Amino acid sequence: MLSEATAADRPGTALLDQEADASARATEIEFGFGDPYDPDNPVGNARLLEADEAAEISAEGERMLDELKLNADFVPREFGGRLDRLDTLVRVMRQVFRRDVTLGLGYGATSFMAAVNVWTVGSEEQKRELAELLLAGGKASVAYHELAHGNDFVRNEFEARPVDGGGFRLDGGKQVINNADRAEALALFSRTSTAPGSRSHSVLLLRRDQLDPKRFKTLPRYTAVGVRGCHLSGLEFDDCPVPGSALVGGLGQGVELALRSFQITRSAVPGMAIGTGDASLRTAVRFAVGRQLYRRSVMEIPHAKATLSAAFLDLLICDAMSLAGTRAVHLLPEETSVYASAVKYLVPKVLSEAMYELSIVLGARFYVRDGEFGIFQKHVRDLPVLSLGHAGSAACQATIIPQLSRLAKRAWFAGEPAPAELFQPRAPLGPIPFDRLTLASGRDGLSASLIAAVDELPSGSPVERALHGFALRMMDELRQMQEEALDLSPQDRTALASPASFALADRYTVLLAAASVLGVWREARGGSDEFLADPSWAATALYRLARRLGQKLPDLPDSCAERVHDEVLRRFHEHRSYDLYDSPLTA
Amino acid sequence: MSIETHDLPSASSGHTVESLTTWLVDRVAIYLQRDPAEIDPSEPLAEYGMDSVAALSLCGDVEEDFDLVLEPTVAWDYPTAAALAEHLAGELKAAGKS
Repeated sequence: MLSEATAADRPGTALLDQEADASARATEIEFGFGDPYDPDNPVGNARLLEADEAAEISAEGERMLDELKLNADFVPREFGGRLDRLDTLVRVMRQVFRRDVTLGLGYGATSFMAAVNVWTVGSEEQKRELAELLLAGGKASVAYHELAHGNDFVRNEFEARPVDGGGFRLDGGKQVINNADRAEALALFSRTSTAPGSRSHSVLLLRRDQLDPKRFKTLPRYTAVGVRGCHLSGLEFDDCPVPGSALVGGLGQGVELALRSFQITRSAVPGMAIGTGDASLRTAVRFAVGRQLYRRSVMEIPHAKATLSAAFLDLLICDAMSLAGTRAVHLLPEETSVYASAVKYLVPKVLSEAMYELSIVLGARFYVRDGEFGIFQKHVRDLPVLSLGHAGSAACQATIIPQLSRLAKRAWFAGEPAPAELFQPRAPLGPIPFDRLTLASGRDGLSASLIAAVDELPSGSPVERALHGFALRMMDELRQMQEEALDLSPQDRTALASPASFALADRYTVLLAAASVLGVWREARGGSDEFLADPSWAATALYRLARRLGQKLPDLPDSCAERVHDEVLRRFHEHRSYDLYDSPLTA
Repeated sequence: MSIETHDLPSASSGHTVESLTTWLVDRVAIYLQRDPAEIDPSEPLAEYGMDSVAALSLCGDVEEDFDLVLEPTVAWDYPTAAALAEHLAGELKAAGKS
């Protein structure tokens, strides 16, 4: 096991250990799935599509992930699992999401989201018990949601009434809960006091087999547009007794626990879906390389070529932001409340938009539900669940909005830049500091790193000069945001803020993405990854982000587009992933 | 950006529980777009629709006006204007600012 001390004392060794482990694990999962195009592969695209059509989660897929003990990746190493780094978890889960979002959520991420509550404030015994359950292949489900209250979960009504002499009586329902019908463990966000406000809820962890079967029932499954194989159902309790030992953390600390554990899940889950974007881009490239139109391949049509490159850049932007977000949990836990919401807001949005653009290249193939390209429409339907589940986009913006004026006043253009390790995908990290996550931040090392970089950027080549220019524009953008944030009226700093506040939060997330891209490129310079070290991708990525902010920009040198296009083709032909890791794939 | 000390209420401004209650009620009224007279300092602010997002903003206001950094959970633990004012008075005293 790597403790924080050993990671710091022996960085060389730790780097080798952690990096070798992470890369081997990702490869093991990826190759476990085999060739997606092999019609006889029980977890290939054809069979995954069949399962989706039947609204079933792939049984073969679950069996395979059982054999690979994927649940170990959700359990901290000190409790016998493999979890030590959040960015590594994302990298591993990305292999599952590349094949099937239903398996990614239905087999995996849901258990992780439930478990985080326990890892954050659970007792030693609760941690040990849940670790044991997960390591034995059991699933955990997490029930926050009540249809009537959406993300306004402080108004939740599902009740766990404390009873004299200890314990609780559960009453009421939870709806649209993944795996509610089959999870062995349930984390339930429950009202434990009738008083209004944020001290009236608690999280309970229950074992399904310890509940009185006559006093609770599973509600019918919901049918959804995507992740059709996921077991989305609900639970209803009728005065069901549970022991006092079910309480996770303190009585009345549910909202606080939710806001802290959300920081971990919001940072991590979106980056997993970069695998889905990767598979979709790969499908579109496969189509573009193979299909002839106007006597040439689709890939030679300028619009198609540019669209595919743009999607690749979007994946790199998302991965840079996901990397900074997940590593911030380790390195800047006090600042994570803002970054986690920014990742959860922007990454699914950019991915969905990229999918839409890719669908135009695929043309009518995008509308076909089976065959060589049929997986694409499934990914398009599955992906939006990322923006809906567990924190809607608006809820993420609402977490950022009240912090903007504070950041504008205290942090922007004032604070220390983030440490370089924030941007190094393969550098070691200490354990996840669950206890250091705070509800609000007055610092912003990520944006400070962009400001600090502006003075140090090279300007030797035309591409470097372009990149420098875009970074300067981003700095101006932050200055404008600062003025606007300082002018926000009190009403505009609540959940009922005007659309202008939401727009400001949106722009700020784009700026954080730009800071992430710039950070990753600076740390990659002079490194062994020639593509990441080249300024072409970073300049083009910043160009795309600046365009998202509505800026009019000078054209990039032509060499940028060529460099990115060549990389799209190389990674397609050599079966390498479309993310920061350039990792080996089966096909 | 550092906050200039002359922008802050002076140490001699003598915050009392009463003055802080008035300040809080006025501030909450702005968030909720209500008349301050409608807000009973002994009623939980959540009863008036004060959400967790606004509570976070309120902590920012306290920080700005009194140069006092608060955990956002303070507004949850002291759910009424009166309770929060009392807590603030204690914190200000401890920080030597009243």
